[in-house]
Amino acid sequence: MTELHRSASADVRRLPRVRRVISRVLYAVGPLILLLLLWHFLASQAQSLFFPTPLAIWDNSMRLFFSGGPETAFLTTKVTTDIVQSLWRMLLGFVIGSCAGVLFGVAVGRSIALKRLSDPVVEFLRSIPATATLPLFIILLGAGDGMRVAFIAYAVLWFVLINTASGVSAIHPTVLDLGRVFRLPKWKVLVQIIVPAALPKIFAGLRIGSTVAVLSAIVSEFMLATNGIGHQLIISQAEFLMTNIWSWVVVLALVGYLINTIMEFIERRTLAWDRLVQGAS
Amino acid sequence: MSEKSSIRTRSRLRAVAGGERIHIVLLGTAGIAVLLVTLEVVSRLGLVNERFLPPFSTVVVVLGQLLADESFRADVASTLVTWAAALAVSAVVAIPLGLLLGLSDRSYRLSRTVIELVRTMPAVALVPLAILLIGQGFEMKLTLAVYAAMWPILFNSIYGARGVDPKAKEMGRSFGLSRAAIIRRISVPSAAPFIFTGVRISSSIVLIVIITVELITGGAQGLGSFIARQRALGGDISLVYAAILVTGLLGLFINSLIGVVDRRLFAWNQTKGGRR
Repeated sequence: MTELHRSASADVRRLPRVRRVISRVLYAVGPLILLLLLWHFLASQAQSLFFPTPLAIWDNSMRLFFSGGPETAFLTTKVTTDIVQSLWRMLLGFVIGSCAGVLFGVAVGRSIALKRLSDPVVEFLRSIPATATLPLFIILLGAGDGMRVAFIAYAVLWFVLINTASGVSAIHPTVLDLGRVFRLPKWKVLVQIIVPAALPKIFAGLRIGSTVAVLSAIVSEFMLATNGIGHQLIISQAEFLMTNIWSWVVVLALVGYLINTIMEFIERRTLAWDRLVQGAS
Repeated sequence: MSEKSSIRTRSRLRAVAGGERIHIVLLGTAGIAVLLVTLEVVSRLGLVNERFLPPFSTVVVVLGQLLADESFRADVASTLVTWAAALAVSAVVAIPLGLLLGLSDRSYRLSRTVIELVRTMPAVALVPLAILLIGQGFEMKLTLAVYAAMWPILFNSIYGARGVDPKAKEMGRSFGLSRAAIIRRISVPSAAPFIFTGVRISSSIVLIVIITVELITGGAQGLGSFIARQRALGGDISLVYAAILVTGLLGLFINSLIGVVDRRLFAWNQTKGGRR
């Protein structure tokens, strides 16, 4: 009679715990393995230059990244130069952009006057795709790393700012009154009341910001770069190195996935007290 | 998100009392004015090299010249056409797929990991790969934009399909509706607002991806290509500034377009759960 509500998850919930875990792992990993196998099968059938088999990509990646001498922990310069440089730029740009974003976001969120003053400008500037400003950054700041970090920070800033402002302006005035009741100095109000109260929204902004940081770093390395993951992608494209480019795409996917996972982990830990966030994850 | 808050601003203007509304408009205009005056003064006084930051008035003049220029208008039109095509294709692909995945619990759980993994893969970073696989033309732009835009629509379709009130579906069953009819007359309309939010988010993503791809690959047509060309030619920087302003205007235009469509189609949803 209530057949309508019978779902796979309802069935699974009734099984003993071990089988539940196994089931969850299978659901997660199964499709991936299947896809890999499918890819391998199709690629080896088609024998196309454009789609090397996963095994070929693996071999090439081993050669590309792990064939260095024992003195560098078997890592090649590709890892130590390109990957590390990209990660470094992402990190620096993300940190600078987030700090600026949180700062401005809190300012705009706290003061209604400031918010109304800056709203039209922010709305417009935000509609400009950050990547479209890359040529401007190149003209103004040259082609070096400073330009890249500034560009990444600029892209990250907008998302963090908007989310922070949204979070700060949504704080219930009673919470802020607590600060006044306890006669807390301004900086204490900021650090102990405002930031924690707005933290869920701030973290949402930070998570988007981290994705944007990865993207901006890669894009900035497409033009006039000498190293970096984006640079290697462009080089592989220019020299028609098909397997190479797939190896680098895999690296990119792993980097993006790792950063996302780390951010989610930090978010879950820091916001363990926030039931809403827990419920959503 | 930009779309939602600009709608909120407009509705907020309608909702607040007269005095407050004046305050908002006044301050907003003041903010713009202060910024423009500062830019103008800083440049004219030579505080910042004119080659790097031309006076705002100059940029406005250049903007006017650009908008009157036929080939520039053609570039903008080309970008817009690609935008519309990419949005349409990704909607046509992602909405049915999302609804399908969302309506069945098993398929939803199966697809989750794959989706979570591909999510972290920014479309623009795949430009070099796409160039090798598809070439440098319109098809590559379209494919990449569709790839990027698919995911928000897909998620929201899945989310919307899963959020359909089971009691409403039961009611449909009690009226003797077939499974297909329930989907068509209850699930789809119920999920429609969520789907549209996905389309909204995707609309700005598509624009960003297209302009970025045009920027990276150069090419003959498109707003991004224009900007790239100007930088490479090393000419007047005001052209670059003006073109970037145009991208902002384009973004705002698309936002308001989507907003209008949203209000037309989903006026009935205004009171639901304070989503607005």
